[in-house]
Amino acid sequence: MVRRVRAEIGSAMFSTGSKYFFGITFLGAVSFAIYMLLIGESAIGATALFGLVGATGLLTALVLSTRDGSKDEEGVAASTAAPTASILPLIGAIGATLLLVGTITSPVVTLFGIVALLAAIVEWAVLSWSERASSDAAFNASLRKRLLNPIEFPVIAAVGLGVIIISFAQITLAIDKSVGAIAFIVLGSLVLAVGVLFSVRPSLKRGLVIGICVVGALGIVAAGIAGAGVGIREELVHAKEEGHYMHQECGAEKSKYFDKLPLEGVSATSSVDTHIDLIDGKLVASVQGIAGDQKTITIPRSNATNIVFRNMSDGEYRLVASLGSKMVTTDVKEDVVQCTQLIPQGSEQMLTLNIPKPAEAGKPFTLTVPGLTGQSIEVIVP
Amino acid sequence: MRHQNTTDHGTTAVNRLAGMRRRVVGSIAGLAGTMFLAGCATNAPQDTFQPKGPNAKIIDDLQKPVFAVAGIIGVFVTVVVIIAVFKFRDKGQPIPHQSHGNPALEITLTIIPALILTVVGVFTFRTVFDLAKTSDTEMIINVTGQQWWWEYDYPVQNEYGITQPIITSGQLVIPAGTKVLLRQTSRDVIHSYWIPALNGKRDAVPGRVHLNRIEADKPGIYAGQCTEFCGLSHANMRMEAVALSKADFAKWVANQLKPYASPAENTLAKEGETVFMNQCIRCHQVNGMKRADGTPVIAAPDENMVSGAAPNLSHLMSRNTFAGATFDLLNKSCREDVWGAESESFGAKYLGGVSEDCLNQTDLRGWLRNAPAMKPMYANPALLTSSGGKYRGMPNLGLTESDIEKLVAYLLTLK
Repeated sequence: MVRRVRAEIGSAMFSTGSKYFFGITFLGAVSFAIYMLLIGESAIGATALFGLVGATGLLTALVLSTRDGSKDEEGVAASTAAPTASILPLIGAIGATLLLVGTITSPVVTLFGIVALLAAIVEWAVLSWSERASSDAAFNASLRKRLLNPIEFPVIAAVGLGVIIISFAQITLAIDKSVGAIAFIVLGSLVLAVGVLFSVRPSLKRGLVIGICVVGALGIVAAGIAGAGVGIREELVHAKEEGHYMHQECGAEKSKYFDKLPLEGVSATSSVDTHIDLIDGKLVASVQGIAGDQKTITIPRSNATNIVFRNMSDGEYRLVASLGSKMVTTDVKEDVVQCTQLIPQGSEQMLTLNIPKPAEAGKPFTLTVPGLTGQSIEVIVP
Repeated sequence: MRHQNTTDHGTTAVNRLAGMRRRVVGSIAGLAGTMFLAGCATNAPQDTFQPKGPNAKIIDDLQKPVFAVAGIIGVFVTVVVIIAVFKFRDKGQPIPHQSHGNPALEITLTIIPALILTVVGVFTFRTVFDLAKTSDTEMIINVTGQQWWWEYDYPVQNEYGITQPIITSGQLVIPAGTKVLLRQTSRDVIHSYWIPALNGKRDAVPGRVHLNRIEADKPGIYAGQCTEFCGLSHANMRMEAVALSKADFAKWVANQLKPYASPAENTLAKEGETVFMNQCIRCHQVNGMKRADGTPVIAAPDENMVSGAAPNLSHLMSRNTFAGATFDLLNKSCREDVWGAESESFGAKYLGGVSEDCLNQTDLRGWLRNAPAMKPMYANPALLTSSGGKYRGMPNLGLTESDIEKLVAYLLTLK
């Protein structure tokens, strides 16, 4: 049966012309993908290849739908029937509009436009072809389903799942953290309860099951849209504006954001230039290749140098690198400081220094631990 | 008639084939002869079979017996194969008796190579561990590779009189008879440091520090070459290690630590200093140089170069090379005088530096006139899109002949 349908689809669908154009389209698409990966989207070649794919794709669709313009008897008989009304041209038109609008607004809009346009073209071409496959409308419809359903179902499922996930995300970003936890405990319980209901009552009417699922999904989507309308909660807005999870606060005291959940281990071992150890309140450096503890380290300028700070003293400490100053404007200088997070005893964290210029005379760079006096490692950049 | 033509054609084809065979055999023999004779070259500063230090000697002590064993086996196998090919070639004789499997022979032929490889392996491992040892290090030098030159910085080491860090390039200066540990890294791509007379090769990898020990038995200059393909001018990324006696090394250190001396007023060199401050200081640092208002002049190679660095030109004329050791700062006769010097007199000649009489004016002026024309580099301002406008190598600065004249006079003061 499957073989028969494959043969029918194959012989009926892929005419000589369509094979040719389909081949060029496929080759163009592959070349476009490789070009984007290797050279990038800004090059003119990417535009040219995309244009080729679009043009040959359109020709493929035309040739498919007209079967190379052949007038076989079945086709002639089928073509006498009026085509089915379809929403696909409208989707295609929206896709084309989005594509054009996206070129002057956002690449995301362009992407949506391309997806909508390609989907409409493919769907419409196959619909048009299947309606003229034979004079039997039912057979034509089954042909279309056999061809497109294996693509449509996974794509629709993925899109639906994506919408639900985005809606969840919008809800969690909008509501308070503690409320969010309660809301999702309730929601999770509801999903569990409905699932149990479906399993213990298999005789439930199909319409009822579909209705419950649709109402649930619509509820989540509606809540997600409402959440997006409200916007992310104030705390996150501030975090984004201030960048305080990234902003290094290098004092002795614990920083509310920067020191939150400090990394306590370093996996890189082969790329470490120097270990700075805080042992019983004393700061010592052990440099790869140099025997004994050091109080001065020399590192090349303009090169990433990895330094691992190991806290072996009781309490939480951080390593601070004071790297001189830089001109912010023509008159204003700013101290350049880098630091690790505050880490507990037995932990280690990496600091990568990249110092472009040697220190000014008399002002060597230093590595210190806030809260410890008289302990520092001198960093010399020749 | 037709038969006659066919015979003629056949004879011609056979003659052609014979001629071709002669040419091929002649070419192979010529190539083999050239390669054989190349081994007799006396002026071969990068000869791996002439170790001039204990680390290279360790490698040499391993590779010579291994080479001998491998050579004997190779020759033996080749001869046996040739004898078998010729003696037992098809002459129409009946096919000899065919036998399959000979356990005793197969086990023997497995055990013998295994034993040979085990012995070679034991000595190889011992050599590898010996070369990786750092506990006996007497001196540390940081080595940083970038396209296409090497930078050497000497951390403070009071026992050698290095009370301030020293930075130089092109020539690595070491005390002879001293176990020196090179801490190698790279600012851009992978390079490989290799001075064959002093040790094997060791990669310089961005973000990592690789250790490489070298030691020279006697004072002298030892040539090397980057051995990891690193871009356009990889072939021009040379290096030279200069070994000095301990006393001479102390003099070299003292000279490197001398403070900067600005040229006297109203001299060509002073004008050259101004040109240097306007043009060269964008990338090249000269330690101690100050502006008229007393502020230190700090170069900004990080803003102009992909690697973020350009050679520090402090005490340039104490080196014998420039542009990544691609060109000599000494003219031919002075260079030969230094390179050909005996160990005892070498130090004094090297420490003499580059005088005006010995300066290789041709190459230095050519370099200042149009550097990319002398050494291939990515330094065309119109082709820097992929590097964010930064250069790989020195660009053509468009200096006038007058500027070049002044700069040469100034550079000669950087003793």
